[in-house]
Amino acid sequence: MLELAGVRHAYEGRVVLDLERFAVPPGALIAIVGHNGSGKSTLLRLLALVERPSTGEIRWGDAVVSSPRVRPRAAARRRITLVEQRPVLFRGTVRANIGFGLKIRGRRGIEAESIVAAVAERLGITGLLDRRRHELSDGEVQRVAVARALAVAPDVLLLDEPVSSADRAAAQALYGALAEERRARGLAICLASHQLEDAYRWADDIRALAEGRLSPVTPENLFRVELPPGQGEETKHVRVGPIAIAVTTGREGPAILAVPPTDIFVSKEPLVSSARNVFTGQVTRLGRPRPGVVHVAADVGVELIAVITEEAARDLALAPGSPVTFAFKASAVRVF
Amino acid sequence: MDFLGEGLRRAVHLISSADPEVYGIALLTVKVAVVATVIACALGMPLGFVLASRRFWGRRAALTVVNTALAFPTVVVGLLLYALLSRRGPLGGLGWLYTWQAIVIGDVLLAFPIAAALSAAAVQGVDPRIRRTAETLGAGTWRTAWAVAREARFALAAVITAAFGQVVAEVGAAMIVGGNIRGATRTLTTAVALYTAQGDFGLALALGLILLVMALVVNVALQVLQGRGNA
Repeated sequence: MLELAGVRHAYEGRVVLDLERFAVPPGALIAIVGHNGSGKSTLLRLLALVERPSTGEIRWGDAVVSSPRVRPRAAARRRITLVEQRPVLFRGTVRANIGFGLKIRGRRGIEAESIVAAVAERLGITGLLDRRRHELSDGEVQRVAVARALAVAPDVLLLDEPVSSADRAAAQALYGALAEERRARGLAICLASHQLEDAYRWADDIRALAEGRLSPVTPENLFRVELPPGQGEETKHVRVGPIAIAVTTGREGPAILAVPPTDIFVSKEPLVSSARNVFTGQVTRLGRPRPGVVHVAADVGVELIAVITEEAARDLALAPGSPVTFAFKASAVRVF
Repeated sequence: MDFLGEGLRRAVHLISSADPEVYGIALLTVKVAVVATVIACALGMPLGFVLASRRFWGRRAALTVVNTALAFPTVVVGLLLYALLSRRGPLGGLGWLYTWQAIVIGDVLLAFPIAAALSAAAVQGVDPRIRRTAETLGAGTWRTAWAVAREARFALAAVITAAFGQVVAEVGAAMIVGGNIRGATRTLTTAVALYTAQGDFGLALALGLILLVMALVVNVALQVLQGRGNA
């Protein structure tokens, strides 16, 4: 199992990642979600052993494979492969690129050729094998980079926004190929994404990062705010874009607000209730990550996501564009 | 103006008649230049790689030293080397003063900072994702360096050209530690300086033309290489 323990990572004195523990068990499919700058890419680079943590350590099983004092060895890195958000291809053909890692592992000739051909077929890039990097679109480069990573059959595959340049169909094809690979070989996949829908659809385990820390709640409805000074525990009205969210907290200064989607009441019209937060807006989309569960995304000035049952969605006759009211208590809002 | 035309005619005659002295000097120059360039690049380019790609204590100071050494006056290098190689110097026992090996050492000292500083700049210019990608695909130090070098191949070829250019055009150190001895340590640049001073303008011009052709050949070779390269 690949694991980060007590890692604090800083760039020029600024802490960008602060994780007590982050484990990638064998065969897991983990989605890391969070805003831009939340630390997703840094986390993946540390897990990929291409950067060493400022403090703490990265372990593979019981062995420390990376720490401020331990330089990662190539043998450890060969078990983990990272595909960056904007991957680069080496000079040469797509075929040579996919074969790069195989060559390092001493696999050449017909054996390497057959592996390259099989991976290319799974990712639908057989027609690109003899092209060079300047002849490919961004989406094709991404698929080639994933193929190059899969060709070396890693134990852990790390993907940073793997479908950021892909259209919907290409994204489906890529996720489908990854799921198949996982079924066939049992590799662990850890992907960073800001697309919550994709995360819910493809991952078994969703972890949210905010300001370099793991969020204690689900990844929806996270807002970076500045809490006004106060006198102990009290209800504060905190501006989030054009709306003000009431929150009961004793904290002040920079913080993350989290509104748990299951704590939001959804109605067609405003209800008279004890909820201090009542916002009206329009449904922007409906998602069904699991049978019987509906994610309702609404624009109430900012985008909020509520989780309701299929039955409730049917009774409310919700559809994209329909008016909706979201309500939640000030005490339901988490601050960290 | 007449002496210019006369000088040019003599130069063409000396080159076309394969004058043994002219070609002897040219061959020695090529030998010294190639050996010095190979040694300077073999030492300087790995140092440039390390300076550009590793973070370690003193790295910035090392880069400053290398960059400063780029502007080191050739006669000062010649003077210091003379002090080392002269009979009373610490390396006097080698007996290399006034030999072509002494010129090679002087040229290496001058071309080494060029190879190191320009290689560091070339490697720093490569997208850092190339190194990370190679590493994450399991490449060790050498394979990663090779992947980076392939990306920086044009800039690195220019490094070799610049080092060769420094070596082939150098005159100060070669004059001091080589002694400009006919048939032994007389290179194109030292010979041009000598024959111009002696008033043998035709011979100086012939040697100068050969020097220009050598520089041209190296640069054309680089351009051909760049023309062949594609992504």
